[in-house]
Amino acid sequence: MSHSRDVLHFSGHESLRHRLVLSILSGKPLKIDKIRPDDKNPGLRDFEISLLRLLEKVTNGTVFEISLTGTAILVRPGVIFGGAITHDCPLSRSVGYFLEPLIMIAPFSKKPFNLTLKGITTDDKDLSASCLQLPLVHTVLLTPLCTQADLIRTVTLPHLELFGISDGLELRIKKRGSMPQGGGEVQFLCPVVKQLKILNFVDPGKIKRIRGIAHAVRVSPQFSNRMIEAARSVLNRYIPDIYLYSDVYKGEDSGKSPGYALTLLAESTTSVLHSAEAISEAGVAPEDIALRASRALLTEIRRGGCVDRKHQCLVLLYMVLGSEDVGRVLMSEPTERTIQFLRDIKDVFGTSFKITPVEDSTDLLYVCYGMGFINVNRSLA
Amino acid sequence: MDDKPHKAHRAAQSGNKADKKGKGKEKQHGFNEKAFAPKSGRRAERQGRRAAEKDQTRLHVPLVDRTPDEQPPPVIVAIVGPPGVGKSTLIKSLVRRYTKQSLNEIRGPVTVVSGKKRRLTFIECNNDLNSMIDVGKVADLVLLMIDGSFGFEMETFEFLNVLQAHGFPKVIGVLTHLDLIKKAATLKDTKKALKKRFWTEIYQGAKLFYFSGVLNGRYPDTEIMNLSRFIGVMKFRPLVFRNQHPYLLADRLEDLTPREEIRSSKGKCDRTVTVYGYLRGTNLRMGTKVHIPGVGDLDMKDVQVLGDPCPPPDADSEKRRKLSEKKKLLVHAPMSDVGGVVYDKDAVWVNVPGNFTRGNTDVPQGEGEKMVMDLQDVDETLEDVVARSDIKLLGSSSKNLVVDPSSSRLPAADIDDEEAESDDGDDDSEASYVSDIEDKTDEEDDLDQGKHIFGVHGGDTGRSTLRLGHRTTDKLSTMLEHQNGGIEYADSDSDLEDGDIRIGPRDDVMGDDDLAADDAPHWKTDLGGKAARAFDSSGRKRRKDWTKLIYSSALPPAQLLKKLTEDQPEGDPDEDEDEFFRMAKGQADEERMDMSKDPALMEDSKEWQDDDMLDSIRHLFITGEAEPQDGERIEQGEDGSSREGSEEGESEAGDADADQSAGIRLTADARAQALASKKEALKRKFDEQYDDPDAAKQDFYDEKKEEIAKQQTLNRAEFVGVDADTRALVEGHSPGSYVRIELTSVPCEMVEHFDPRRPLIVGGLLPAEQQFGFVQVRIKRHRWYTRTLKTNDPLIFSLGWRRFQTVPIYSLDDHSIRMRMLKYTPEHMHCYATFYGPIALPNTGFCAFNSVGADTAAFRVSATGVVLDIDRSVKIVKKLKLTGAPYKIFKNTAFVKDMFNSALEVAKFEGANIKTVSGIRGQIKKALPKPDGAFRATFEDKVLMSDLIFLRAWYSIQPRRFYNPVTSLLLTNDTRWSGMRLTGQVRREQGLSAPQSINSTYKAVDRPARRFNPLRVPRKLQSALPYASKPKLMKPQNRLTYMQKRAVVLEPEEKKALAVIQQIRAIRKDQVSKRREKQEERKEVRRKKQEKDEGRLAEKRKEERKEHMRLAGIKSKREVEKEEGGSRKRQKT
Repeated sequence: MSHSRDVLHFSGHESLRHRLVLSILSGKPLKIDKIRPDDKNPGLRDFEISLLRLLEKVTNGTVFEISLTGTAILVRPGVIFGGAITHDCPLSRSVGYFLEPLIMIAPFSKKPFNLTLKGITTDDKDLSASCLQLPLVHTVLLTPLCTQADLIRTVTLPHLELFGISDGLELRIKKRGSMPQGGGEVQFLCPVVKQLKILNFVDPGKIKRIRGIAHAVRVSPQFSNRMIEAARSVLNRYIPDIYLYSDVYKGEDSGKSPGYALTLLAESTTSVLHSAEAISEAGVAPEDIALRASRALLTEIRRGGCVDRKHQCLVLLYMVLGSEDVGRVLMSEPTERTIQFLRDIKDVFGTSFKITPVEDSTDLLYVCYGMGFINVNRSLA
Repeated sequence: MDDKPHKAHRAAQSGNKADKKGKGKEKQHGFNEKAFAPKSGRRAERQGRRAAEKDQTRLHVPLVDRTPDEQPPPVIVAIVGPPGVGKSTLIKSLVRRYTKQSLNEIRGPVTVVSGKKRRLTFIECNNDLNSMIDVGKVADLVLLMIDGSFGFEMETFEFLNVLQAHGFPKVIGVLTHLDLIKKAATLKDTKKALKKRFWTEIYQGAKLFYFSGVLNGRYPDTEIMNLSRFIGVMKFRPLVFRNQHPYLLADRLEDLTPREEIRSSKGKCDRTVTVYGYLRGTNLRMGTKVHIPGVGDLDMKDVQVLGDPCPPPDADSEKRRKLSEKKKLLVHAPMSDVGGVVYDKDAVWVNVPGNFTRGNTDVPQGEGEKMVMDLQDVDETLEDVVARSDIKLLGSSSKNLVVDPSSSRLPAADIDDEEAESDDGDDDSEASYVSDIEDKTDEEDDLDQGKHIFGVHGGDTGRSTLRLGHRTTDKLSTMLEHQNGGIEYADSDSDLEDGDIRIGPRDDVMGDDDLAADDAPHWKTDLGGKAARAFDSSGRKRRKDWTKLIYSSALPPAQLLKKLTEDQPEGDPDEDEDEFFRMAKGQADEERMDMSKDPALMEDSKEWQDDDMLDSIRHLFITGEAEPQDGERIEQGEDGSSREGSEEGESEAGDADADQSAGIRLTADARAQALASKKEALKRKFDEQYDDPDAAKQDFYDEKKEEIAKQQTLNRAEFVGVDADTRALVEGHSPGSYVRIELTSVPCEMVEHFDPRRPLIVGGLLPAEQQFGFVQVRIKRHRWYTRTLKTNDPLIFSLGWRRFQTVPIYSLDDHSIRMRMLKYTPEHMHCYATFYGPIALPNTGFCAFNSVGADTAAFRVSATGVVLDIDRSVKIVKKLKLTGAPYKIFKNTAFVKDMFNSALEVAKFEGANIKTVSGIRGQIKKALPKPDGAFRATFEDKVLMSDLIFLRAWYSIQPRRFYNPVTSLLLTNDTRWSGMRLTGQVRREQGLSAPQSINSTYKAVDRPARRFNPLRVPRKLQSALPYASKPKLMKPQNRLTYMQKRAVVLEPEEKKALAVIQQIRAIRKDQVSKRREKQEERKEVRRKKQEKDEGRLAEKRKEERKEHMRLAGIKSKREVEKEEGGSRKRQKT
């Protein structure tokens, strides 16, 4: 019954994930063309196809039509269904690539999400699965076994709690898998909500503690200790409350390739989270990796704001979807992705942000009026 | 009797009685606290419990009220009732009460000011079910009118049921025509009976007004006054559905379609229509779709806030307690004839009572009259005329003057830049510049500065990046594209700023302005001064306007950011050159990955090797000192923040000292602020220590309410100083504003058959509601609906804003395993229904009808219910039993045939459970080769050849994808909407009878008696069995017994005795028969007598009846004569 003028029309392969998410949330058909038309290898890549397949699994009635050349797709979104799903991710991208868009739609599904993704848990492009969860800072203390895919677990998931999604929200890292062979496995559990709370987060506070996870698989366990020592050399000058955990996976759980990484997380008095991560590289000493991570963390901290740059899109999307009230958040300047995302949001939902600079700071205040998005998929029966 | 008055009573002055009385009076003083004191501890406890319970009933789920406190939209008061009950009279009386104006005819909504904070919109609802449904969805208060002399009518009950399904608004009953009841006792009884009925329908104690009669075409003033006071103080609880959707009750409709198009298409083209009304519910944003019930889904082309035609009195003008008389005169009813002005659908008519009437061609018309008539006939706006004209502003202009309607309407709107490009790509810059006459003041500044460096480009290769200024010093501004007009201003400073900041003129720029001096229109004269003033007023440093950068620039984000981070104060042209001749280099070779991590983070880590640098962020940690001012300085200086840089880029020399002074002021301010915050913290600490912690404790309800109130104040505070356009962009148009909505591609029938008496509602749709899918609802057939509802029969739903016909399938949950289809809805029970249609939010109520026409006297609401679930596929099953017969039986194995047709089918069901009629369970094993479809099956026991074997399977069915909106507004008032008919209806109309399958006819069942073989127990086994288990003798004995074989011979005495007894019996028998005969005779006589009597009586009754009928005939004849011959009679006199 949809008329042709209701179709969202975009071009280019960039922000593919965000556009898919917006289309599925709004229920509007989406057409994307000119996907790498001039490339030697035109059209969608394997991981993008895999993402489409995954979206097909988590929804009911979604139709993807891919053109013959693969340079254009038409999406007719269905109902977000959720439930227990397993997906094998290709080795070209880590599970973070797949998890990020799914986190955006997971709270609006019919059944609570129970998603198992297999593949690479840490790479240098996407949020490593461990980045995404804060109460984990505490659980990490107790069970050092569960760490990497760490950014998603330790940072992204706490952001969801700001919007009232908390009970049953979890990311379990069952196995770690480094590049290039992967072999990791994460399980993502997300509850269903009726409506998101609106966010009002303008006080950045001051950094009160720093936590970190140094993980190593299929290498000497000494590597993680070396990373911790190096990171402490930079960070110790600021604050005494620093705990960096060494997390070594062994045997089955350690995946197929050797690798190590350091994930750092700074939490402020108002629970603002800044995070940084660096992963192993051939020919670089673990100390250098640690320095790189800690310096990146400092850069993040200096940028300020209440939400770090990696999570701008997620937070802004949830603010738009929140109840019909004014939502405010203090963040640093928008990234390239964020700018495109804001424009896409305006095209899809017709909502725009008021972005004003804050006195005496480089931060910007993002204000929007929530659109009162209600989870229609949630069933009462 | 005697008229002597009785002796007056004298109260006792002394004695017992006097004492008692005095005491009693004393007790009456004031509140007696003992009166309600509990007598015992148990009673006290019970009272306490009851009080607590009563307290709980007060609580409701806290709901956010989206209606703004200041300037709320008028309350919609719907007047509903059967025809002739006095609806129009009531509206007229109420309007008269509020505005002192009398309306002749009520057409469409009438808005009046009723108090200092309240406005009312009256709408009359006609008796059509469609109108009643629509009104029920928007009314805040319903005045339900009931004819007291007649009682309730079916429509009233139907309306109440519709209300119930869509969230119950407040209802006040109004009883009229009570003057027709003459007898006081009857009047009292009627009132009581109607009130009782009304209370059961609404709630116990619902307000019911009694109107006695009509005076001067209005109800009595005191009664109307009482009603209006009730309306004035009424409080409204927000309804959930209306709190989620924006909506509008249109009080005016205009057709904007060009006349020529209508003429050429003979009126059949799609129309462009504007509707006007107060916005209600939530905020209305551009881009949302709207639904007009009775028409369909439409796209909003434009929304404009207009001046309030019926503004509430503002605080300044209304300092006194009561409404001033002047304000009382306000009434807004565009479609009625207030003050002789009628807004028609495409014109405004002024009715001048006198000798001149429009269309009266017989009367000769003067020149002036003709001119006025011509003015009325104008069917296009000035804009259209200008658009067609060939006026050139300058002689040298190559292009005509054009009006860009979009720019004039929505200055900040996002306009397709493609269009803009094509606009200026082909012509000379000046002309196109000048042509953009409608543009707003920002451009005026630009004009003065004369920097019209318009894109000197080929036009098609690049976007805005090619359109860069060459002479500018402002690097930043060059990347901005001006979206407003048809042209891009390569470097207009004001683009970068908040709307109110202007930049002073610069001399060098003024110099090369070739337009300013000679052809400048008068508005340009003092521009410099104006700009300077504006700049002074702004005072503060300029910043990047991110909102504008993101939303109104067409630059891809990467370039936007690159521009912002690169700071070159001198804005070197080489850079621009680079930009201009950008290589079509390779996104191909270096692919931009879609990744969330920032690769840049890794790059700039070098700077952290410096100790100073590390120390500079110390204040961001709790261990660091309280943010030193110079610390921040360092930070800003060192990281070369893009803000600082870009500002420098823009700012001129003149700005520099202003900057400094601002900086000083800033530090002073900051110090004061820091001090204040410190004090605040100390105070908080003190409060925490010394305040009672329990005092601030609240229960859940109050906590939630406070939370809601807090958020609402925040909502209001956030947009206080923001201009209307930005507000509309960010939060949409707020409820309470009077808006004009332009709708495109509206079916022409809506305009042609527009009738203001039918409500026109524009309801906003949520994104989800624009989709289609399968909707699962919980449904219950209405108790009063007499017929049962059948699966796959069409049903009309009123759900959300929409009214549509669809084909539901009813089902019930079968042991939580499957949804099992039902052929009919169950009696007095909820069941599920699944249908295809537009999606509605779960928990939305609905009601359903079999027909919405007025062709039945019966109750039309056939079902009500609530939405449960939304999906794209459904799984509803019905039972399918496959039967087969064994044709060969081994021990527990049997070969079964006739169940399937092929081995393939058997293969599909291998392992399935089967069962015989007698209850022996089994399993399908494998297909057999020989008869097609036969298979081997095993059972838990040996089956019989005579057993029937069946397989219970489930067959899934899908609801039909049928959706048919009830387009009642596209029809004329008297045509009936007809949707899909029931099969029975179709057959009846075509004179067909229902087809009958030969297999479904009933036949006499032939059941031959079954012969069972006797159970034979071997003798050996029999002897071993205990007696109880031994088989007993089954056959009857056929030999004579011992006694039977013996003959009996009587003794002589016995013989004699026997004879005597026989004789006595014979005599007795004879006596009895004689007696009976006699009795019969007597009865016969009596019967005859009775018959005679009855005949006489019947005769008498017949006579009486005859007489009665004769009298009645005379009476009715007289009445008929009276009715017919009233006039005759008058003629006689």
